[in-house]
Order: sequence, then C-alpha cells, then structure tokens
Amino acid sequence: MLTIVFFALSGLDVLDALDVVDKPGLIEWIYSLQVLPTDDKSNLSRCGFRGSSHIGVPYSSSKGPGAPHTYDSGHVAMTYTGLACLVILGDDLSRVDKEACLAGLRALQLEDGSFYAVPEGSENDMRFVYCAACICFMLDDWSGMDCQRAIDYIRRSSSYDSGIGQGAGLESHGGSTFCAVASLCMMGKLQEVFSERELKRIRRWCMFRQQNGFHGRPNKPVDTCYSFWVGATLQLLDVFQYTNFEKNRNYILSTQDRLVGGFAKWPDSHPDPLHTYFGICGLSLIGEAELRKVHPALNISMRAFESLRQLQGAWRQKST
Amino acid sequence: MSSVEEISNSVAEDLEEDGVEEENTVEEAEMEYEEPVKGGYIFYRDRKEWADLEPVPQDDGPNPVVKIAYSEKFTDVFDMFRALLQNDEKSERAFALTTEAIDLNAANYTVWHYRRVLLQALDKDLREEMKYITAIIEDQPKNYQVWHHRRMVVEWLNDPSEELQFVAEILSQDAKNYHAWQHRQWVMQEYKLWDGELEYVEELLEEDVRNNSAWNQRHFVINHTSGYSDSSILDREVQYTLKQIKKAPHNESAWNYLNGILQDGGLSSFPGLLEQVTELQDTCSSPYLTAFLVDLYEDALETNSSSYDQQEMFNKALELCKFLAEEKDTIRREYWNYVSRSLQNTYGSGDPVSASSDPPPPPSSSQLPDMEPSDP
Repeated sequence: MLTIVFFALSGLDVLDALDVVDKPGLIEWIYSLQVLPTDDKSNLSRCGFRGSSHIGVPYSSSKGPGAPHTYDSGHVAMTYTGLACLVILGDDLSRVDKEACLAGLRALQLEDGSFYAVPEGSENDMRFVYCAACICFMLDDWSGMDCQRAIDYIRRSSSYDSGIGQGAGLESHGGSTFCAVASLCMMGKLQEVFSERELKRIRRWCMFRQQNGFHGRPNKPVDTCYSFWVGATLQLLDVFQYTNFEKNRNYILSTQDRLVGGFAKWPDSHPDPLHTYFGICGLSLIGEAELRKVHPALNISMRAFESLRQLQGAWRQKST
Repeated sequence: MSSVEEISNSVAEDLEEDGVEEENTVEEAEMEYEEPVKGGYIFYRDRKEWADLEPVPQDDGPNPVVKIAYSEKFTDVFDMFRALLQNDEKSERAFALTTEAIDLNAANYTVWHYRRVLLQALDKDLREEMKYITAIIEDQPKNYQVWHHRRMVVEWLNDPSEELQFVAEILSQDAKNYHAWQHRQWVMQEYKLWDGELEYVEELLEEDVRNNSAWNQRHFVINHTSGYSDSSILDREVQYTLKQIKKAPHNESAWNYLNGILQDGGLSSFPGLLEQVTELQDTCSSPYLTAFLVDLYEDALETNSSSYDQQEMFNKALELCKFLAEEKDTIRREYWNYVSRSLQNTYGSGDPVSASSDPPPPPSSSQLPDMEPSDP
C-alpha cells in the first residue's frame, strides 16, 4: 500500500497540491511501517519498511524498538517508497534507523549483484537494483550495496540490441533500462560503466521506443507509463529534447479518464494510480505548464530533491 | 512488464479483490442480523475447529491512511492468517487457510512464503502442489509471486520435465509474457535444456515474425549453444534474418537482431552486407533499414576501413540522416539532426554540412540535476 501512497503523494507534489494532505498524520503512519531492530538486534538483516500492516504487528510509529515477529521484515520497494514519501512530506528522516535499513539492504543482495525484495527470498531483477540504489542515494550511504557487483549485473543485462533487460539474457525493456541507467546515474558512474559508443546505442534503442507515446519493447503497444520510464532515461542520457513532445503529450492526454480523472495505460481504459502518476511525470518531462520538474533518476519532484540535498548537507556537516 | 507496475498491480489486485465482492452489499443489509451462516459459507471465526485461535486484526493505528474496504470474507480469512502467523503454526488447517488467502489475493508474498514453510514442515505432496500452481498461473499469468513459487517447487522436486511444455502453453495465450520467458530461460539454463528450442523459436516467428521476445530467445539459445563466432553460423543467421525482413520489412525486431549479431565484428566488415542491404532499399524500405545503413557507414568511418571511400561514407551517412529526419522517420527528426551534427563533429573536415543550425549537443551532465548533496 505504501507504493500507492507514493504515487499519490509524489503525484500531488508534482501537481504542487500537497497542501491538501495531512502531512503529520501521514508521516506517523509511514513511520509505523518501519521494521526496527528488536531489543536484542537479532533482526537487523530484516529491517527496512513494510508495505502495509497486513502481518498484524501492533501499531508503533517508530518510537521504540521493534516488536519481534517471525515473519516481519521489510520489502526493498517499500523501504524505497517509504523514504521517498517521508522526504516528499518534508520529514527529516530522524526516526529512520539508517544503519538498520542499510543492514537490511545488504542482506538482500545476491552474488550476481541483483537484489531480492525480501530476506525470505523472492524473485530478483533490475527493479530491486533500482530500489536499492534509491535507498543508498537518499540515505547518502552506499555501504548498503556492493556497487561493483550491481554494476556487473547491469552490464550483463545489456541485450544484443543495446537495450537492457531485467537480467542477463532477458529481453530488453523500457522499465529495466530505466532502472539500470537511473541506478548508474545515482551512483555517479554512468560514463564509467558504459563507453560513449555504448551510450549512443542505448540512446538509439530508447529513441526508437517512441511511436506517438512510448512503448516498452519493440513491436509492443504504447503505454502511458513508458512516457516516464523511457522519457526519463532519455533525459538522463541528454537526448530527451530530441523526442517529439507533441505526439507524446497527445498520447498521454488521450489516456485521461474524462469522468473520474487520472490516466490509464491506454485510451478508454480504467485509470489507476501508477499510470496517473507516471502520466503526470511524463508530462512534466516535456515541460507541461503548472507541473513541477521531476528528478529523472530518483523520481521525485525537484523541490523534494532539493530538500533532500539540504538534509544530506546537514548530515555531512554533522559527521565532520 | 513495467517494473514498479507489477508491485503496484499486486496491490491494485488486492484493492480490486476487496472492494468489488458482491457479498458486500448483501452483508451490509444483514449486519444487525449477525447470522454466521451465509449461503453455506461459515466464517473462520465461527468455525469450531478454529475456536482456539483469536483472530488478529490489522492495526493501522489512530490515523489509517489507506482504508481499504475489505469484504467481510477477506477480513475474516486474513485475521485468522495473522493469528496463525503470530504463532507460527504448522498444521494442515494452516495450509488450507493459505489456499483461501491466495484465492483472495494471490499477490500477498507473505502468504506464499508461509505456504512454502508449511509445504516443507508438513512434507506435502509437491506433485499436487505443481498441479495447484499450474492452475493458478493459468488464471493469473502476470503475477510475480506465482511464478516464483513454481520455480521453488521445481527446484525442490529437481524436476523440470513439465516446464517447457507448460511455458509454451502460457505463451500460446500471450506470446510476449515476460514472466513466462523469464521462467523458460531459467529452466533452460539451470537444467541445460537447449534441445529443440531453436525450432520452437522458429515456430513462434512463423506465427508472428514481429515477436520481439522470440527474437530475443533466438539470440539466447544460440549464444548458449553454438555461439556466433563460427562464420557458418553467423552467415546462416544473417541470411535467416534478411529472409524475415523481406517477408515483413517494417520490423524493428529483425533489424535489431541483424545489427546485434554483427556488432562485434563490425557492420562494415561483414562481406557483402552493404550490397545486400542496399539492394533491399526499394522493396523493403523502412526507417530501420535506413538507420542500419547509417550505422554501417559510421562503422566504416570509425574503423577507418580501407575498403570504403571515407568521404563517400561520411556524405552518405549525413544524406541518410537528412532523409530520415525529413522523410522516413520524421517523429525522430530532431534526433536524426543531432546524429548528423555528431557525425560532423567527429568526422567532419570543418565545413558543416547543413542539417540544422542548432548548436552542438550539450556536454554530458548539463541536463542532469547535480547528484551531489548541497553544501550546508
């Protein structure tokens, strides 16, 4: 559920409409989802944020140690969106147990450099590499992951067509290409990992995703959310300006629901929070009026990013 | 399938399940009636065999943010699930409950994990579980948890014998299902099941030559078996691909494959390729063909190949960029102008050939927000 809250909050932020939200209430609720170390700290490798309270752990807004529960652990996408939501809401992350989050994150990385979502095990692919990178980037601490291994995983996930798949051998895909490129940018290693020639080919692969809106794979139908996944990747690669803004915009707007609002993947389809959020972000990339700019790698508004930078600056100063 | 979309979809499915149950409206009217039996269904909280367990409600504190209108059935099942979880109960009734919970929300990864714990603790029949997971995947083939569960059971059984046929079944309903392809590749690599796959790929390409997943699989198979270094293999693949291009010229997948397998050797180094592709220009014209030629010319320039007249390569490359920008691929007009400028900057003799009078591309990080934290 935290992911849905993220789509809503970040969406409102990009729309410059966060004042409709009960910020303190939301902050409390998000903190109630943190999986904190228990008294004996035996669960450090399971720390992070939950997606919801569905396990039945009693409510506690991160004001004491964690309550032990055999099946309670964080989920990498929830830790990422939890932190992002707190940043968006202007929280100073002072109740986040950063060391615990990072320990929980380290426990999720596999030998091949990719990540599980949960310590109990799950599938592993580029999505969770991205979540991990966002967490390290926000906490300004890359000890949460072995960057070199993650970089190796990314390189091995490059396809023969120069797009990037979810893992080695898998079909190149707009979502995983975004996850890979954005992760490298946040690490500050894009140019170190890919040669200029390779970057040119990735640009070409991404540019060819535009049909009017964007699709995620060659010969697949377009879908509103790729206006962000591919658009943001192109932005990170410095060539988004060469896409056709008009066609992209017209497509996104054609997927808007005239009755209830929001955006869907296709025209005349049911809108949902994900496509609404990424539709808005897609429009923000092309400079749509009255929308805040979005950080193309971290996927939060530039306003939220600025406040994160201020926060990180204060942390750095404190530690020197 | 879009990355975070799947995470959100799993939650969206959760919402759909909860909000739309028809039981809801009937139950609201009967609320005061408090009858435990509704159409034969007995809530877990009212079942004798469950009387020893106190249901555990979800606790979102004083200010719940996401208030999902769960149906009474859903709440009842999951309240009991939470109770089992708390006690870490390992029993048949717990196992049966996971089946109910999955039926209500197959995206709840905690339920699946708990089910796996029980499968092992109770030494359950894994063949039965395979049948079960087969049915669930048929019903919800785009759910991450179900595929992961199947993978675990296959690993425990150490038996991949049904997998390729099963995945083929799923692909027959959606030939591009990313989960299905992922599972297939895992099975093949893990158990070294390469035989017959190239034939399978060709069948799929017969059905739909534009199936990008099938082209990807082609590369996957060959890469892991013969490889492409043998020139007879490479020739075979080039000829196969050109044949498919003639059948369906406007097919990015085929062109990407052709480009991809020839990258390492260099497009301009492959004998006769320029001629073969140029020959296709009239009958099989497409933006992909033209872009391929641009890449070939650029490769000749980059390698400073003596087989080609460098000036001619340069001029032709620019000419085609202009052709793409103005006629063949106008949606990417600005991009082709940018490619043209880049070529001019790299290989030009100083006299700019017109494409546009835009300034040269910006240096790398100017579009990027500064990644470093600010100074206090």
